[in-house]
Amino acid sequence: MKSPRSTRHEDRQSHKPRTSYASALALSLCAFAVQATYAAESVKIGVPVGLSGANSVVAPSIVQSAQLAVDEINAKGGILGRQVTLEVADDGSGAAGAQKAFDSLIFDKKVDALISAETSAARNAGLPIVSRGKVPFVYTSFYEGRSCNRNMYVDGWVPDQQVAPVVDYFMNHDHAKTFFLIGSDYAFGRGMLDFTKAYIEKKGGKVIGNEYLPMDGSDWTSIISKLQAAKPDAIITSTAGGAPNVTLTKQLRAAGVKVPYGNLAVDEGTAKSMGADAAGIFMSGSYVTSIDSPANQAFLAAMKKRFGNDLKTPNDLSVPEYEAVYLYKAAVEKAGSFDSAKVIPALAQVSFMGPRGTIQMDKQRHAPLTMYLSQVQPDGSVKVIQSFSHLDPGAQCPNLK
Amino acid sequence: MLNVLLDVVTTAAMLFIVSAGLLIVFGVMKIVNFSHGAFLTVGGYASVVATQLGLGWWWGLPLSLVCGFVLGGAVEWLIVRPLYARPLDAILATWGLGIILGQLITLAFGRGVQMVASPIEGAVPVLGTHYSAYRLLLVVAALAVALALGWLLNGTRLGLQTRAVIMNEGLARGLGISSARVRFLTFCTGAALAAAAGCLITPLSSVDPNMGVPWIVGAFMLVLVSGASLVSLAVASIVLGGAQVLVSTFVDPVLGGLMIAVLAALLLRFRPEGFARG
Repeated sequence: MKSPRSTRHEDRQSHKPRTSYASALALSLCAFAVQATYAAESVKIGVPVGLSGANSVVAPSIVQSAQLAVDEINAKGGILGRQVTLEVADDGSGAAGAQKAFDSLIFDKKVDALISAETSAARNAGLPIVSRGKVPFVYTSFYEGRSCNRNMYVDGWVPDQQVAPVVDYFMNHDHAKTFFLIGSDYAFGRGMLDFTKAYIEKKGGKVIGNEYLPMDGSDWTSIISKLQAAKPDAIITSTAGGAPNVTLTKQLRAAGVKVPYGNLAVDEGTAKSMGADAAGIFMSGSYVTSIDSPANQAFLAAMKKRFGNDLKTPNDLSVPEYEAVYLYKAAVEKAGSFDSAKVIPALAQVSFMGPRGTIQMDKQRHAPLTMYLSQVQPDGSVKVIQSFSHLDPGAQCPNLK
Repeated sequence: MLNVLLDVVTTAAMLFIVSAGLLIVFGVMKIVNFSHGAFLTVGGYASVVATQLGLGWWWGLPLSLVCGFVLGGAVEWLIVRPLYARPLDAILATWGLGIILGQLITLAFGRGVQMVASPIEGAVPVLGTHYSAYRLLLVVAALAVALALGWLLNGTRLGLQTRAVIMNEGLARGLGISSARVRFLTFCTGAALAAAAGCLITPLSSVDPNMGVPWIVGAFMLVLVSGASLVSLAVASIVLGGAQVLVSTFVDPVLGGLMIAVLAALLLRFRPEGFARG
């Protein structure tokens, strides 16, 4: 735009681009503000989960459960009128990745709650960050117990509910007296097997071997050699969920080990991916797909409809995730607000009727659960041998509240 | 006792197969190919692809050999060749390449861990005890690799030229040997061997985009103490691999994992040529 050579006119002309820049800037700021307010309308649920590393075998199923719960809740109007969005972050199945994932979810994405299953290493690394961020955290994985934090609730099982069925069955049905224990060398593996050893000895059995491999280790050669030299009546294992279960089972079967094998940390999905190697494994958990209840049938049908051929087998790590999202919704509605200080106490007071039955996290932040002792069949299906209703989690966090 | 002995032999076989490719590249080109782990991973995923296509694991072997050879050729042409005169930069370039290949595999196959079914299940009776059939197969595979490489190096004209280049590249070129062609074919073969090794180890563990990384350190140590000789590599595999198995079995698996690196460092301190003959 050509302007005549007059200083005053030039001044006026040169102000024009500046004012148009200023108004453009103001407009875009307004647009950002509007968008920001719009974005603030949605409730963000953070899901830090092991998309890589040991848990990567089960992580897709956990994400699917969360997605279905969120879709169903949104279809019915969301939580307190606000739509729900999921923020999934990879915690690498370990401590280092968990720090990054929790930091990014709590302080960068500013999630309203964290609901996820992770390895104990990841959980323990993330808890200090949760405490700093004061965000409600529902931990949906089974674990070794006794992990307590002002902001955390747990809807997965603890050893007090899970170990007895397996050991009792081996001792009564298979007359096992000597046990060999194998685990992953971190909080979960050690915690579970310490509990198991104490229980076995209380019942008059003997633990003749107790071996550990690092969580990401996949070479069980030396441990299997020791196992074969010790000749136990039964094996009980507690590795990290996912990949270590598969490598250990593969190598055990390749070495021809045939004694009764109880796996405390395997879920139905991982067992299916092991194929023929999984046949004969005893599992103890709070969920099997064959649970014959209307809630479970409805859940499985909805999962199949939502994911079709991409559906990952719902299992003991993914179903508690689905129920936890609904428990969070119930807690927010009871508290009437999204404020952490109000939601956290409310999480103990609400219950949800899910595929595993009625879940309420009212026993020192943990939930009484119905447990199923089952065995993997040669065709890959899981057959329930015994079930135990409403087992109490015991004194997990006596110092909280 | 026999079980532990078999563990030593089969672990040595695995280490030999994984390191052989790295050894020939190091011997000829005097560079350490840090993308070796990525080629291992490529081979692992080749077996995943073969299984997914319904072909069965055995087809994974030729598939991984071909993929490794072709990819190795592309890498040598595009990345290593322009850096002939700068071996340190070439080493860095292979490290970067390893990272890139790992990310490409993540893009194509996802981050998760995948499993491949073993072609041979169960244990076979061996000298009074039962031992994993697949691990015994690895011993056969290691022998096959050693024999094939030995024949290539000692029974073919290309092998003769390669040995000349290993001994003294300048002199070999002066005699009219195309060292560029020898380097190219060596890199391709090294990469193909790495891919085949990756395919062979998958039935025992699992496949993920970073599966090659733990193996690089061990292979690197073994190659350093072996110089350029396949025989030294075999000896090193048995000695260092054996130490790893024995310490893992009788002391602690974590300490056992350290054995290869620690022993290699100690050996090189006292005998810089390692197991090679002077």
